[in-house]
Amino acid sequence: MADSVEHIKKTARLYLLIGAVLFIFTGVTVAVAKIPMLDVGKHGFDTMDMILGLAIASFKASLVGYIFMHLNHEKKAIYWIFFGAIMFFGFMIFLFMFAKYDPIHFNGFQLGIPN
Amino acid sequence: MEIPYIFTPRKDTGMCNSKIAIWLFLASEVMLFGGFFSSYVYLRLGADYPWPERALPVMPGLINTFVLIFSSVTVVFAWVSLKLRKWGMFQIYMAITVLCAAIFMGLKAIEYNVKFHHQAVRLSDYTILEGHLDHIEGITDKKGHEVEADVIHVKVNKLTFSTVRFHKPWVEEMIRQAEVNKATITLGSPLKIEGQEVPSGTALTVSLLNQIKKNHLASRSNNAEVRTEALRDAWVTEKAKVGNEGKQGWQMASNVNIDMDAIAGQLKVETSSIVFQVTPPTELWFPQRDIKEGATQSKLRDDTVIDGEMLESPVAFHNLDAIDFRYVVMKAEEKGIDPEKAIENTWLIKNNEEAREAWEWNKEQMVILQEELTKGYGLDKNGKPNREPTLTERYRIGWQDFAAKAEKVNKGHEAFNMKEQFMGPNYEHRAPAHTFPHLHIPRELVFLSGKFTPAWNTYYAIYFTMTFLHGLHVIGGAIVLSYYLFRGKKMYQTNPEWLANRVEVGGLFWHFVDLVWIFLFPILYLM
Repeated sequence: MADSVEHIKKTARLYLLIGAVLFIFTGVTVAVAKIPMLDVGKHGFDTMDMILGLAIASFKASLVGYIFMHLNHEKKAIYWIFFGAIMFFGFMIFLFMFAKYDPIHFNGFQLGIPN
Repeated sequence: MEIPYIFTPRKDTGMCNSKIAIWLFLASEVMLFGGFFSSYVYLRLGADYPWPERALPVMPGLINTFVLIFSSVTVVFAWVSLKLRKWGMFQIYMAITVLCAAIFMGLKAIEYNVKFHHQAVRLSDYTILEGHLDHIEGITDKKGHEVEADVIHVKVNKLTFSTVRFHKPWVEEMIRQAEVNKATITLGSPLKIEGQEVPSGTALTVSLLNQIKKNHLASRSNNAEVRTEALRDAWVTEKAKVGNEGKQGWQMASNVNIDMDAIAGQLKVETSSIVFQVTPPTELWFPQRDIKEGATQSKLRDDTVIDGEMLESPVAFHNLDAIDFRYVVMKAEEKGIDPEKAIENTWLIKNNEEAREAWEWNKEQMVILQEELTKGYGLDKNGKPNREPTLTERYRIGWQDFAAKAEKVNKGHEAFNMKEQFMGPNYEHRAPAHTFPHLHIPRELVFLSGKFTPAWNTYYAIYFTMTFLHGLHVIGGAIVLSYYLFRGKKMYQTNPEWLANRVEVGGLFWHFVDLVWIFLFPILYLM
């Protein structure tokens, strides 16, 4: 890691800038969810809002990882460790796709519906 | 023993040991949280009830996001300060980071507390009601607080305790309540414990139940031994009979019987349950979560059988702050019934004037909202509006809506202040306007009743699991960073680079905690 005093002084400003970007995009996440004019897709929450919300969150997370956690200039071993974990995470997230093969189907409590 | 490579890199990895260790740890953390995010997706997609999307107040979550991002910047500046050998600046930045952690946890505690005091009831017709309960006048718990109107009242004449399963605090509470009502709980019929007779009419105490339990367990153990021994003898006798040589066990089993008359003298009386009489029959109350109530007989979760008539035990809302018909609509659509007709046939709409008014007001609001949406976004090719009110807007009347109705403004216009965005409605302030209905619900209509805890539904289960786990990480991170702040001077004086490396490692963990929250916030609060 290029941790020389000059480099660190230079990057200090970058850290502030990234902090500001994270603040702004947090505001953007809330704005697109709460302000009707900025609502993408249909009225209210829908798939488009989900994609946009997760895209902004991923962008923010990558800034934290890339700059604050120094993944922009790390050793190879770190990337391999992280890559393995991310692959596992990706696999886990899509596990729900196998749910349709689940032999147990719960249809809710069988109670009367008002006539 | 000196730990190697604490501030000089190892040749093979090119890093200090602590750095590679924290990254391995973070990889395992990614997998841990990955499992929970995966569970969230599974629970949401598989929910058999309307998922409470955008149900949480955004403001506390938003402020917490800012707080964590700010702390991520300060922790990185703490590290920069060490690299530049500015000890004083390091202390300031690290102190701010730890303070941010405290603010985060403080806000989380407020959020949790609001939920743990907020009541929800699901009626058997799928209407969901939320709010705050009345207190029952004159009925107090052991601490002297009036109990909430969500208890089951029974006029008890007989109690049958399970000797091995009785729950001590519940027994003590029954004794306390009987004393308050000037009733006695006494042994129904005489009993022998270790040869000594306990006469009927002996008052119920926990120690008496413990003695009975001890005696029962000793008898049971003795009887098991006697029966096993008798069975063993029966087998020996059977095997020794002429003609049984070489036979398999299963060929002889039908002839092997214990002679019960022979061992009768050795068997002791087991007391698996014990009956106590309540004189005169008196009204006792039980928290609804502990009891399965019945008209003439009820049962507690510790298997205590309560004989006596169940009295009226309504759930009484002092302030009903949300009516949610989305579940009614979901079930009506499943059965092909018109949702609005199903709503108008619910017990609530048929029996409560204020709720009916609120429902009518909400329907009018939907007409206004639809007009606004059509005006703003137009119609599609088929003449259908491009945008329509959501399911939540149409079928849920939340506390903001009740507030808007009382203040005669339209739904969606913010008729509440900043504090209310945190803590929920200010009931005292809104009472004169009769904003929130009061409501008594007969017990037979209550399907499920409870606070907004993990037990309420899978949404709150995963919400509490993920945010609590994240909160533990915040606390853990804050402890480690505090250690560097308060105990790091020695490390700094020995070798500043040593402390800088430690802070970098602690900071990496802290950034990870921030990173998890960056996803938790939109997923739990905005989606």
